[in-house]
Amino acid sequence: MLARSGLRSTRILNGARNGATAFTKRSISSNSRASTESPMKLNVTVAASTALAIGSVAWYYHLYGSTAHAMTPAEEGLHPTAYPWVHQQWLKTFDHQTLRRGFQVYREVCAACHSLSRVPYRTLVGTILTVDEAKELAEENEYDTEPNDEGEIEKRPGKLSDYIPAPYKNDEAARAANNGALPPDLSLIVKGRHGGCDYIFSLLTGYPEEPPAGAQVGAGLNFNPYFPGTGIAMARVLYDGLVEYEDETPASASQMAKDVTEFLNWAAEPEMDDRKRMGVKVLTVTAVLFALSVWVKRYKWATLKSRKIVYDPPKGASNNVRS
Amino acid sequence: MGIWDTITDLVEAAAPWSTAEAEAPAEEPKEETSEDSKEEPEEEEAEEEDDEEEIEDPKEKLEEECKNSKQCAPAKHHFDECVERVTNASDDEEGKEDCVEEFFHLAHCASQCAAPKLWSVLK
Repeated sequence: MLARSGLRSTRILNGARNGATAFTKRSISSNSRASTESPMKLNVTVAASTALAIGSVAWYYHLYGSTAHAMTPAEEGLHPTAYPWVHQQWLKTFDHQTLRRGFQVYREVCAACHSLSRVPYRTLVGTILTVDEAKELAEENEYDTEPNDEGEIEKRPGKLSDYIPAPYKNDEAARAANNGALPPDLSLIVKGRHGGCDYIFSLLTGYPEEPPAGAQVGAGLNFNPYFPGTGIAMARVLYDGLVEYEDETPASASQMAKDVTEFLNWAAEPEMDDRKRMGVKVLTVTAVLFALSVWVKRYKWATLKSRKIVYDPPKGASNNVRS
Repeated sequence: MGIWDTITDLVEAAAPWSTAEAEAPAEEPKEETSEDSKEEPEEEEAEEEDDEEEIEDPKEKLEEECKNSKQCAPAKHHFDECVERVTNASDDEEGKEDCVEEFFHLAHCASQCAAPKLWSVLK
C-alpha cells in the first residue's frame, strides 16, 4: 500500500512539473515576441556600456596610471647587467681557485683603503689558504695582548683567531685620508648593495674613459654610471696587469674584478657551499622518506585494496520488491 | 651531535667517494709555492713586465664590438646624436643637457650583449 501511494504521489508531482514547464515555455515565447521589436536598441546599449567601461578605464590610467619619477636616471644609477655567475647556480659552489685569486686582489689592491673587519684568518683556512699560509699571513700583523703583570698592553704577532686588520684606525681617519669619502667595509658589501655581485663587478669595470658629454662631475669625484648619482669618490683602481696571479691567469681588469667580486661574495656568505649541500641533503632525505611512505602505504592498504565486497541479497526478499 | 658524528662517519666510510680534507693535501702544494716564490721573483719580474703590455681586457674589446653591432645601433645612434648636439650647444652657452641617459642605454645594451661572451672568456 505504501509503495503504491508513493507511486501515485510521484505521478501527481510529475503532472505539476509538466504544468510548470509548459508555463515557462509560454512565458519565454511571449518574451521573445516582445524583444523582436527592437534588436537595434539592445545592440546599442551593449556597445555603449562596453565603450563606457573601456573609456573609463582608459581615462583612469590617463589620469593616475603613470608613476611619477622623482629622480633622474643619473641619480638612480645604471642598473647592472646580470652576469651568468657560476657560483649563483643552485647546485654550484664557489670556485676556490677564483677565491684565492680574489683574495690576492683584495690584499694587493682593495686593502689599501677598504677594511674586511668581519673576516678572521681562521675562515680563510681550507677555503682560500692552507693552515700554514694563513698563520704566516696572520703573523705579519701585530695585535694587542692582554695586560701583562704590570698592567701594560704589549704587541704580539697575529694568530688565526685574529681578524684582518683595517687600513685606518677609525672612520674619521679613513675620511680624512680619502678627501672626506669613507671607503665602506667590504665584509658584507655584496649583501649590502642592490644588485650584489653584478653591481660590484659593473662598478669596478664600468669606469668609462671619459664621462659622456655634458655630464657634471663634482670636484674630487669620478664618473661611474653604476654608482647612484654617477659621481664616485673611488677612482678606477683595476688596470690590466696590476696583479700577478700565482696560477698565471692573465690579470686583465675584468678578470681581477670577477675574482675579487666572487671573493667578496664569499666574505659576505661563507656558508653558501654548506648551505647548498644542506639543501641537497634535505631533498635526498625527503625523497627517501617519500619512497618509504609509498611502500608503507601499499603495505597498510594491501588488505583493503585486495578485498572484494559482494552483495548477496536473500532470494525471498527480492520477489517482494518486484511485485 | 655525538650520534650524528658516528652516523656521518659510518656513511663516509661506506660511501664510494672521499671527502676533501682541508689540511693534509693542501700542505704539499703550499711547500712548492713557497719555494717557487723564493726562487723565482727576480726572473719573473723581468718576464712579466713584457707580459703586462700584452694583456688586453676582454670586456672592453667585447663591449666595443657590441656597441658597433646591429643590436645596439639605435642606442649608439641616439648617443652619437646627443654628443653632437651637446657639444654644439655648449658653444652657444646653453649647455644644460647631458648625454647621461643616452650613455646609460648604450652601456646597458653593450654590457648585456657582452656578458655571456665575457664569461666564456674569463676564468
